[in-house]
Amino acid sequence: MTVAIVLLTLFGSAWLLAVIEGWTVTGRLQPAAPLLSGLAHLGRESIVPRSPDRVFFEAAPVLLLVVAVLGAAVLPLAPDLVIADLGTGALFINAALAYVLVALIMAGWGPNGAYAMIGGWRFLGQLIAYSMLIVMPITAVAMRAESLVNTAIVGSQADLWNIVYQPLGFVLFYIAAMALAFRSPFDLPTAEGELAGGVDAEYTGVRLAVLRLARLTLVVTLAAATTVFYLGGWHGPLLPPWAWSLIKTLAVAVSMLLAGGYLPRIREADLMRWCWTLGIPLALLNIVIVGLLILVVP
Amino acid sequence: MTSDPTMTLLGARHQKRPSALKKLVSRVMARNLSCLIVPGPEVALAHGLDVTAAGMRIAATPRDAGVLLIIGELSQKMDEVVAVLYAQMPRPRATLVLGGPAPSSLPHPDVSAGLSQEELTEAVGRVQRAMAEGAFAASPEDFDASVLHVRIEYVCPMHPEVVQDEPGSCPKCGMDLVAHEAGEDEGATEEASGHHGHDHEHHHDHEQQHDGSDGHSEDEHSGHEHDHGASGFMSMIEVTKDLSRSADGLQMDWLEVPFGPVFPGLPGGLKLTFTLDGDGVTGGQATSLAGMTTEGEDFEEVDAGTFIDHLASAMPLAPVSYRLLACLAIEQAAGLNDDPATTQARNAALERERIASHLGWLAQVGRQLGFAWLTHRASTLQLQFRDANRNRFVELEPALRALGTRLGRTPLLKARLKGIGVLSTESSDLRGPVARAANEGGDAWARLWQRLAEISASFDLIKGAGEPELPSLRDIGGVSGTGEATVDTPRGEANLRLKLARGHVKSYKLDTACSHHIGLVEKLVEGRELGDALVAVGSLDLSPWEVIP
Amino acid sequence: MGAQAFFLAVFGLAAIGFGVAVFRTSSMVRSALALLFSQTAVGCMFLVMQTEFLGVLQIMMMATEMSIMAIFMVMFMMDPGGLGGMDMTHQKRFSIGAGVVAAGAAIAVALLADWGPVTVQAPAAAMQTRELGHELLGRSMLIFETAGVTILTAMIAATAVAIPVQRLADNGDKEVSE
Repeated sequence: MTVAIVLLTLFGSAWLLAVIEGWTVTGRLQPAAPLLSGLAHLGRESIVPRSPDRVFFEAAPVLLLVVAVLGAAVLPLAPDLVIADLGTGALFINAALAYVLVALIMAGWGPNGAYAMIGGWRFLGQLIAYSMLIVMPITAVAMRAESLVNTAIVGSQADLWNIVYQPLGFVLFYIAAMALAFRSPFDLPTAEGELAGGVDAEYTGVRLAVLRLARLTLVVTLAAATTVFYLGGWHGPLLPPWAWSLIKTLAVAVSMLLAGGYLPRIREADLMRWCWTLGIPLALLNIVIVGLLILVVP
Repeated sequence: MTSDPTMTLLGARHQKRPSALKKLVSRVMARNLSCLIVPGPEVALAHGLDVTAAGMRIAATPRDAGVLLIIGELSQKMDEVVAVLYAQMPRPRATLVLGGPAPSSLPHPDVSAGLSQEELTEAVGRVQRAMAEGAFAASPEDFDASVLHVRIEYVCPMHPEVVQDEPGSCPKCGMDLVAHEAGEDEGATEEASGHHGHDHEHHHDHEQQHDGSDGHSEDEHSGHEHDHGASGFMSMIEVTKDLSRSADGLQMDWLEVPFGPVFPGLPGGLKLTFTLDGDGVTGGQATSLAGMTTEGEDFEEVDAGTFIDHLASAMPLAPVSYRLLACLAIEQAAGLNDDPATTQARNAALERERIASHLGWLAQVGRQLGFAWLTHRASTLQLQFRDANRNRFVELEPALRALGTRLGRTPLLKARLKGIGVLSTESSDLRGPVARAANEGGDAWARLWQRLAEISASFDLIKGAGEPELPSLRDIGGVSGTGEATVDTPRGEANLRLKLARGHVKSYKLDTACSHHIGLVEKLVEGRELGDALVAVGSLDLSPWEVIP
Repeated sequence: MGAQAFFLAVFGLAAIGFGVAVFRTSSMVRSALALLFSQTAVGCMFLVMQTEFLGVLQIMMMATEMSIMAIFMVMFMMDPGGLGGMDMTHQKRFSIGAGVVAAGAAIAVALLADWGPVTVQAPAAAMQTRELGHELLGRSMLIFETAGVTILTAMIAATAVAIPVQRLADNGDKEVSE
């Protein structure tokens, strides 16, 4: 039952996100549009490129979707609405999201094409940039909660949300989450202007529909993770807990989407340089600050 | 002109009669049309067509497109490209040809129409009906074209000199021979490969690509002697030790990858061929597939008016400038003096086109950089400015200023463009905005601001000059003579020399900025990361039609 | 208990199966990703044995590590697509010998070492994490700190050795060497 509710919420949020994305692009609010466009994809021919690595080509979109769902499985919507409240929940999200890289490498290698391949390996470079910036803020969050359990992490923010307690961590995590979801301005693997779609390029039909769904769901999962770690999860007056979780998740997801349309793509060299020379020292600083705050402030 | 759904629309399934579900899906597909614009979306904008307003989404790649939208008449090389693109589109697919004859390499187009927004909208309606009825047509034909045929030969991954026509094993090392597209028509195949030409060329055994890169094969052979380590272990480091290293110090195998001629973000008709190692460009070449075929070898004498129309329609991205150029040259040949009134109106039209052209370039930059807002805004403004009269100009002024301010405030833009594609004043052959920006640093960032400044300057000129009017030829009678004229087109100075004989143009010689700029591409991209290289090429604002071979 | 043993067997066999696939395929990326999934199966075995932290950590680390290994294999090995059917095994006699010896040693350690009494109930995951933390920062702090610093030094040294001498950028160009 919980599983059904959480999954429904997850895919429902993905759908809402698609509607909002359509709204920003076309200026019209069309609720049926994502479903219809998915149906249209199903009607098209599912082309398999010449001499692909078939296993990878088929597995990549599915793996991406599975990763997004697994990540969402440990994130609580409300104190009792979580599929699996693992003892190492915060770490598990990171473990699941590491397979986004594996999925993109498969999607890059599978189609036997230069654009896809470059896109896939580029994402590896992007991972080198963002992976520390995801883990270290989570460390600081877990430090405050003194637990890796996601419900406990939300519980620790009852009186003060982490975005106020550790704003630096929030900024770094937000940026790293956008880089993980390869949304603009970090859409190096699927760069339209540089790689004609990159890893997305060779997928058509059913597989493309799954890939697009997976990308949206991934954004929702990351937004939910941001909510749980930094925005106090379900805490909020008046409305029931799950409503607050949903509102915050959607707000974060929409902001990630919108940021992309208003920024040009970042240069790969700049991304790596800034994340390593600026991002990691700041993340370490964040850990130190949070540690001091925990020890000093009663 | 109506299409016959069962014969021309290539359906995706073999079905006797589509089921209810399939009918629903085909209706849904008809509502969700995405089109690939050939030669490119900038051409659609230059003709004043708003494809999204007509009801189709613009797709960046043929895999994502259901409709192939062909605008204008295509050169012969582009005809072949179109065949490859069509083959790459998933079915159901349709072709829509606007304002020109259908390409010979494709089957009969599903819908044809003229070059105007109303006709486009009506044509889209026809395509939608055809798609809804015929998406799952009973017996779809397979599409085949000679350009898609490649000869397969078998090569050893480790010894590229071992080539056979049948599968087998390499006599030197015993490895299986791998299929590879043939070398002799490689030139033709590569020319014709549309932007997914890598389907035809690339395998994961990168070694084979050395066939294509000449200067490399020398090192190849020496590097491939087996240097066995102490216990018979084949050390890859030793095997690859003589291969040249790239700028970042890593030894990698080289791939030859085409970018273009229909590549999102690059001008349509421009084909770049990059030799990549990983994501660094080690060498690149640019050719134009859309240009005028000759300078006038098989050029027949034409009436002056026809000549002007031909020249203007051959340059879809800057028709007014070339029309003006031809008018000026012919009038000079005829010995006519300048008339202030017409000059003013003509200059206003030229400046108006300059603004529209630069806005179109900004939209391209937006596509290349993944900067959706810029693409949308610049396209909208371009459509509005394209045929605006003076009053409209005044109304649109704040929008232009806002664009400039907003660009200045965009966070990552400067980091993206600064220091990319540097062409200093020492480079020869620079013209137009590229040349003027060379004084300010000569990188892509300087060129962006140069073009924005030119937009402002053109704007002020129009406000002072008067109502813009399309250049039309004044009455010259049946004179003879030679004439020469230079016009500062949006991309740089263009020079036209022609000979008149009794009111007919006998011969002409055209020199354009883009013909010179295209030669700069090679130096510009060498040693750069792929994204930087493409941005550098984009910042040159090349128009493939204005490249005279 | 039965279910645990069953899943342990399943994941164990998966780990072995993927491990065999590493050498049976000639494609570099398939080989690397097969190793990745083999390690993931080992991580799942940890999860089945109720050592949650170790399992999740294993799964997380191996994804990133094996992917990086994949790109290095593609960069430095010829025929990364495996279309030439090159034999992936080298030094067969030596490696078979080494494998047999290592297997023997592992089995010997497993059977002969004194593992202490079997706990009836594995502690809860949160408790395990807590105790692991205490262990890392208490008794084993010196070991892990030294190991960590050594690895970091090795990484930095290897990178520094690999980068060629930087030439100064000319003409204000952005980068010459990355």
